[in-house]
Formats: sequence, structure tokens, C-alpha cells
Amino acid sequence: MRDHARHPVRSVAVLALVVLGAVLMLFPFLWTVITSITPGGSLADGPTLWVEDPTLDAYRSLVDAVPIWRILVNSFAIAVTSTVLQLVTGSMAAYGFARLRFPGRNVVFGLYLATMMVPLQVLVVPLFIEMKTLNLQDTYLGLLAPSFASAFGVFLLKQAVETVPTELDEAATIDGAGHLRIFATIVLPLIRPALATVAVFAFMASWNSFLWPLVVIRSPELMTLPLGLATLQGQFTTEWDVVMAGSVVSIVPIALVYLLAQRHVVAGIAHTGIK
Amino acid sequence: MHRGRWRTLGWALVFLGPSAVPLLLFTAVPMVSSAWVSLHEWNLISDMRWVGLENYRELLTDPATREVFWHTLLFVAGYLPLVYVGGLALAVALNRRMPANAFFRAAYFLPVVTSWVVVALVWKWLLNPSSGLVNHLLGAAGLGQPGWWTDPTWALPSVILASAWKDLGFVMVILLAGLQAIPGDVLEAADVDGATGWKRFWHVTLPLLSPSTFFVVVISLINGFQVFDQVFVMTGGGPAGSSQVVVGQIYDLTFRYGRAGEASALSWLLFAVILLITAVQIRGQRRWVHHA
Amino acid sequence: MNNHRRRLTAVAVAGIASLALGACSQGSATSKDADSADGKTTITYMEFSSNGGHEQDLAAIVDAFEKEHDDIEVKVETTPYDSYFTKLQTALAGGTAGDTFELNYENFVTYAENGSLAELGSYDEAAYKPSLLEAFSRDGAQYALPESFSDVVLFYNKELFDKAGVETPTSDWTWKDEAAAAAKLTDKGAGVWGDYQPVQFFEFYKALAQSGGSFFNEDGTEATFDSPEGVEAAQWLVGKPGKTMPTEAEGAGTPDFDTNLFKDGKLAMWHSGIWMFAGLADVPFEWDIAVEPGNTQQASAMFANGVAVNADSDHQEAAEEWLSFLTSSKAMADTRLSTSWELPPVADESLLAPYLEQDKPANRAAVMESLESVALPPVIARQAEMQDAITKELGEAAAGRKSVEDALADAKKAVDALLD
Repeated sequence: MRDHARHPVRSVAVLALVVLGAVLMLFPFLWTVITSITPGGSLADGPTLWVEDPTLDAYRSLVDAVPIWRILVNSFAIAVTSTVLQLVTGSMAAYGFARLRFPGRNVVFGLYLATMMVPLQVLVVPLFIEMKTLNLQDTYLGLLAPSFASAFGVFLLKQAVETVPTELDEAATIDGAGHLRIFATIVLPLIRPALATVAVFAFMASWNSFLWPLVVIRSPELMTLPLGLATLQGQFTTEWDVVMAGSVVSIVPIALVYLLAQRHVVAGIAHTGIK
Repeated sequence: MHRGRWRTLGWALVFLGPSAVPLLLFTAVPMVSSAWVSLHEWNLISDMRWVGLENYRELLTDPATREVFWHTLLFVAGYLPLVYVGGLALAVALNRRMPANAFFRAAYFLPVVTSWVVVALVWKWLLNPSSGLVNHLLGAAGLGQPGWWTDPTWALPSVILASAWKDLGFVMVILLAGLQAIPGDVLEAADVDGATGWKRFWHVTLPLLSPSTFFVVVISLINGFQVFDQVFVMTGGGPAGSSQVVVGQIYDLTFRYGRAGEASALSWLLFAVILLITAVQIRGQRRWVHHA
Repeated sequence: MNNHRRRLTAVAVAGIASLALGACSQGSATSKDADSADGKTTITYMEFSSNGGHEQDLAAIVDAFEKEHDDIEVKVETTPYDSYFTKLQTALAGGTAGDTFELNYENFVTYAENGSLAELGSYDEAAYKPSLLEAFSRDGAQYALPESFSDVVLFYNKELFDKAGVETPTSDWTWKDEAAAAAKLTDKGAGVWGDYQPVQFFEFYKALAQSGGSFFNEDGTEATFDSPEGVEAAQWLVGKPGKTMPTEAEGAGTPDFDTNLFKDGKLAMWHSGIWMFAGLADVPFEWDIAVEPGNTQQASAMFANGVAVNADSDHQEAAEEWLSFLTSSKAMADTRLSTSWELPPVADESLLAPYLEQDKPANRAAVMESLESVALPPVIARQAEMQDAITKELGEAAAGRKSVEDALADAKKAVDALLD
């Protein structure tokens, strides 16, 4: 706050840059929206800010081309489940790594990180064969299985738990609290921003996931959004305005989830200030 | 003391179990399978054929392998500084309780959630050698106008620029959370001690932010080495393979060339590289990462 | 304690959500109950060609089949072309591929040689075009049935020709005539281009054939496309960007670029396939097609899709019956022709009459004329690598980074290495 008063010019310059940056960031999304309401629009036409005859035809075609409601429900249910699971398993593991001094802790954490080091493109086939062996191909469980836990979330949450002072734990222990109670009542509330962040990324990863759903889903009832949108791109021609409409439909829910989560990140400030 | 150790181990199982079991079943097991596949020749549609370490031998003597690793390394080296510095600047600028900031934070995060199909098209338009905005501006400023994604020298930089731009919001979100976890009284104490502005940032804020920085660096390295989507969509590894990266090669080998065994071997070479670099990071953290 | 409750709710939601999703039950495509339920045999068909506008047409063919065979049910699984082979290969690796699946000509060899296709025996040989049947046979056995075919022709914008006072293409044209017309029709100032031909593998092998060259030697052990004919063919392709068509930097090669250029009336001649007919139906100017001009001889590119029975299928008989219907029935032929969904592989050309009588384009005879001298793609086991190598080297030549001779020499080296 004091910096503002001392360096008004710098603040204005910063603001100007931030605004310019924001415009640049919004630009692709705006372009997508505009193309989606341009009759026969295509990104190859270059960006315009003005649309001659704006129309919702692309969205109507989208609804006709793919069972959009079923797909949205599927994607949403899967993403929510995936997010909740990753938050639960991730926060528990984070507590375990940050607070419990068990033998081999660093090695196990290293193993967790190692699970992020082999690309999905290579894991897809063996994983699919595994699912087939468990008879889980073409099922929701098979679709969800790889996202029950995420080393990314564990890592991020571990960093967050490590910033919570152990004095709080000790105080609670004196009061007779065990690990579970400390975890639930002391640690979790204090890492709310990190939880919100993991929630956003987990949701996003699930929402946009393509390769795994592609190979594991066979029936149309299980179809998720990225798969549905891919069918809009034909072998020889593509209706770009419909594809863009699909992109808009795909982006809006995540943006909403992000806005929701951001409130928790900001709300978190209130907590960390009060010690 | 023994009983204490067992109890801790027991608790560790309770807290780690829910994540360890799925990771073991659904990531570790396929990883081991892929290691097994790497010792075979396999086109996915017929039976595997044992070749032992032949795939590894071939990969290590093939100049193409060196090329894709080099491109991947270049990508990471260009991407990481750009996205970190940019994300940090954004986080610092938006670390205030202004209502407009919610809008800005959303704006900067939007590219992160946009699919690469759209982002790639936008950037290919921006970087169009003849009609793109960037070259227009460069020309007006009297600077050279590179061929960007149509030029072997500039294809990878094009991907780097687009990637850093897209992920700025991601780094911003992480670092913002880190910045907001810094207790206000610590910052005020620094002010009282006479360390203000840049000095306070460098000597107090940054060190306190180091756990988040550490996270960003490690994750960006792990993900950066596995870069795929943007290369696939923007340049397809071209022109003439000048922007092909390791995972791009893995994908081609598995699904287009019918050489899944080699693909698995290549992915394990990549794994070794990523593991080594991450291990160095983790060892090194004692020196610069500040813990509560 | 608010947080406590919130956390419990979260866990509860997770639990209920996963239960509610009926997590373990398989979708309709994989569940086995369908089979025994009503004594019907259910067979699955994985395909890509109906995606992008012909899903209803395929459904109509399936309905017609199920009416005739009320003991067989066909479940179609459509995947867009770009992800189809990823999905198919993974499914084959896991043993979950459909009873029947679609392949294109270039991929057929790999699958046939690997024992994933069942040998077919109960189809009606006489119903198919002999050349197409042969394309899908190997070592004297039939491993797939031809499903559809299409060829590449020369599209031209009549209005642009009339405006420039140039005579429209005929089937006697050669490259010389094409080049002369393209030069007259290109007006860079007005953004009008004379002749668009993609610079990649599929155009190259065809141009090579049109110059009388051959891709491989007699026994297929060496690549021979770096011959003078090959250089001529490559030069023909590589000389167009920047002169009669936009360069790669200007957008050539990006998806739909050429389609949009033609549709916008900015392109006089366009080498493309007959699958484009439906998409050009609403174009405001007059256009037509001609047989692609050859160089020393005529050669047109033909593409064919085939359908095969999974060697591991439990319902091989039913599968073959479905495939026979899909590839030779009148219902199928009528559906394809009325919606311009590629051509049925039928031997009886009179069946194609309704197709030839349609308008837009008027000169549909050119489609059949093109088949009189056909250039099938050269196919080897390591097909994708070969295609990539050729397209890569041609791209280097087109961008001026390599001479045509050097590009072809390097391409030959790369392809020879794939032939072991």
C-alpha cells in the first residue's frame, strides 16, 4: 500500500502492462467466441472484432452433431469425482509426508514423483491391457482409475503443509488430539488456497483429458467432451465455427470452476494473517 | 522408541495408503509393463518379439535420438525462465485485494484452460511470417522477420513462446498462493528494518516464496521434458523434424510406425534424464529452499 | 467445526458419486448380455469413414441389413480418422477390437501380414470390381473386402477461366497445358491463384507415375524414385508454391486452406478428391472437374477403404455376412450414391448410373475415366515412416532449403533403410 503512494508512476505503468497483458490473454478466447457466432466462420479468416450477421447456428449444429447434454454430464461427473478423490488422497499423503517421520520417507516421495516421469503415451497401452484384464474397459471406473491419485497434487499439497507451523500441531497434541484430528481440524483449513489450486488443476486435467478416454471408452453413453468435440473434425473437411462453439462450451465450465476456486485462494489470506 | 517407530509407520500407511494403492496399481504397474515391452519388438497388433537390449542399443547410437533430446532440452531451457519470470511478475502485480484483480486473474488463467488446438491456431496466426502481427511489428521496428513455424531455426522458439504464454497463468496461480501465505507481519518487520521495495523482495519475499518456486521449477521440468501437445498441434515436429521432441517421437513410434518396443525404451531413457534432473533439484533444495 | 462438516460432505459426495456412476458396469458396446438375451448375435463394427456427415447414412445401411438378417445386430463404433488408428491398435493390443473394422488401403498390408485379419470365404466375388478385390488380397487369400473408393481429379472454377479467356481443361490435357493455364490464371495482385497441388507423398507417387517413373524396382528391394522422372515429378510439385499457389508460410498445407481458397473463388484449378463434391454443393460459382492431366502418361490416384473381420472374433460368420452386405448390397450402393459418400466398389457399373447423372459437377464421367489408368500408392510394412520421409524431403525442396535432386537422394536413402 505504501509503495503506491511513493511510486505512483510505477504503479500506473504496472497497471498498464497488466491490462495489456490481460487483453492479450483474452484475445484467443474472444476470437474463439467470435468465430463461433460468425456464419461459416473459420480461424483461417484472421481475427475480427466485428461480426456481420452473428448467429447461434454453430451452437445449434453442435447440439445436433453430438449428444451434448449427455457428454457434458459425463465429463462433469467424472471431473468432480476425480477432483474430490485427488483432494482426499492428495491431502492425506501430503500430511503423511510432511508430518510423519517414517523410515524411507524420502524414497517413497521420490517414487511418487517418479510416477510423473513416464509419459501417458507410453502408459496407455499397458494400462489398457491391465484394465481389460480387470474387465474394466468401457466403464466409468476404468475411466477414473488413473486419476484416483495424483503425485502432482501430493507434491503441491506437501509444500503447503510444510508451511503450517508445527507449533500448532504440538499445541493440539497437548490437548489430546491424534493425527487424524490434527489433519482435519488444523492442517486442512490452513492449506485452503493449495487445496483450491489442486482442485482447479485436477478438474482441468480430467475435463480436457483425451488420450485415455479415447482408448478406454467404447460406448457412446460414456463419451466425454473432448472425444465428442473431436468427432466434429472430419477426415477431409471441418466445420470450424462448430468446433469453435464446442471450444467455448468446453472452456466456460472450467473458467467457472477457476473463479469459484479463486475465492477460496483469496479467502485464505484472511486465515493466514490471523495467527 | 521401537513402538513409536511402528506407530509412525502405521500412521504413514493410513495417510499414504489411499494414494499409494491407486498409484501403484494404475501407474507403477503399467510403468513396469512398459519396461518389459521395451525389451521386445512390438507393433501392438501381433505378438511381441524378444530383442533384449537391442532397442536401447539402437536408440543410443541413432543421431535422431540425440536430436530429439537436444530439442527437448532447448525447449525446457527456453520455456522455464520465461514462464517463471513472467508468472512471478504477474503474481506480484496481482497480489492485492483489488476487486479488478479477480478479473485479471481470470483473464490470465484463461489460456491455461484453453485447448492447444485453439491456442496453436492463434499463435500460428500471430507468428505468420508474411501476415502475422509479430512480424508486422518487427518489420515496423526495422528488425528482421523470422520465418517462425515455417523455418527450421525458428520453429522450436515459436513453440516455446506459445507455451510460456499459455502457462503464465498456471505459474501465477501457484506463486500467488505462495505469496499470500507469507505472513504480513514478516513483511512489515522487514520494512521496519529498512529493507523496502526491491531489497525486501529479493531478500525477504523471494526466500519465503522458495517452496513455491521449488515446486514450479520441479513440475515445469518434469512436464517440460514431456512436452507433446503443443508440438503436435503447432508444428507436428517440423519443418523437417526441427522441432520434434522426445514424446513426439514416442507417439510416432508407438501409434504410427508400429515400434512400441522402441518407444518404451525411449521413454525409459527420458525417465532416466528426468529422474536425474529432479534428483539434483531435490538435493540442491537444501541450499536455497527456505522451510518454515 | 464448519470445515469438518464440509470435509465429511466432500467425502460423502465422492462416495455417492462413484457409486451412482455404476462405476463398474460396462457400456452398451462391450457388455456381453446383449448376445444371449434374445438369441441374437451382436457384432461390433469399428470405423471412421462415416464421421463428419455420413453417420445417418451408415445407420441406414445397418438398418437395412438388420431387416434382412433379423438374427444379427450390428453395433457401430465411429471414431474420427485422426484418432482411429490409435484406438484400433490399442484395442487390438488389448484384445478388445471389434468383430469387424475398417482399414484403408495403405494400412491394410501391415494388418494382413500380422495375422490380425481373418481369411474371408463366403463373399460373392462377381459383385466387386476385380482391381479393388485384388487390392485387399494377399498371397492369394482375401483378407478384407473393398468398401468404397474415391479418386483424385482436377477441380476447376469455370468463371475464372471464362474471365481470363482461357480454355477449360479437357481429358487430353498434359502438364504443359496445365502450367500454361495456371500462369495465365494467377493474379497475385487480386489474390487469385492458378493451380493448387499439395506437396506431399500422395501427390508425389502419382506425379511420378504420370511421368512414367516407378517408385520401387521390380522386386521392391530398392527405391527408384530419384530417377530423372522422379526429379521431373518433384519439380512439378515443388515449383507451384509461390507461383501458382500460396506458400507454406502463407498457409498452404494447413487444414481446409485449399478448400476455403477454392470455395472463396480464389483458386482456378485444384487437385483434390471426389469426396469434396458434397462440400462444394452450395458454392456460388460454376465449377466442374476434369481428369488429372498426366505428363508422359495419364495416372490418377485412387484411394480405397476396406473392411475386415477380426481374426479373434467369435462371430466370424455373422461378421462376414455383415461385411458382404456393407460392401455389395444395393441398399448400400443407393445410399452412397445419393449422398455422394464415396463410391461403392461394385463391378456392375450400371449401378453407378444415378451418381453419374447428378449435377455439380456435371462432368462426372471424369470420375470413371480417371479409373482407366490408376496409380495405387506404393505400400510397404513401414508405411507411415516412408510417407513422412518423402513429405519431409519434398517440404525442404519446396521451401528452397534443398535442391530437388538432393531432396530425392536423401529421401531414397531414408526409404531404402526402411526396406530391410
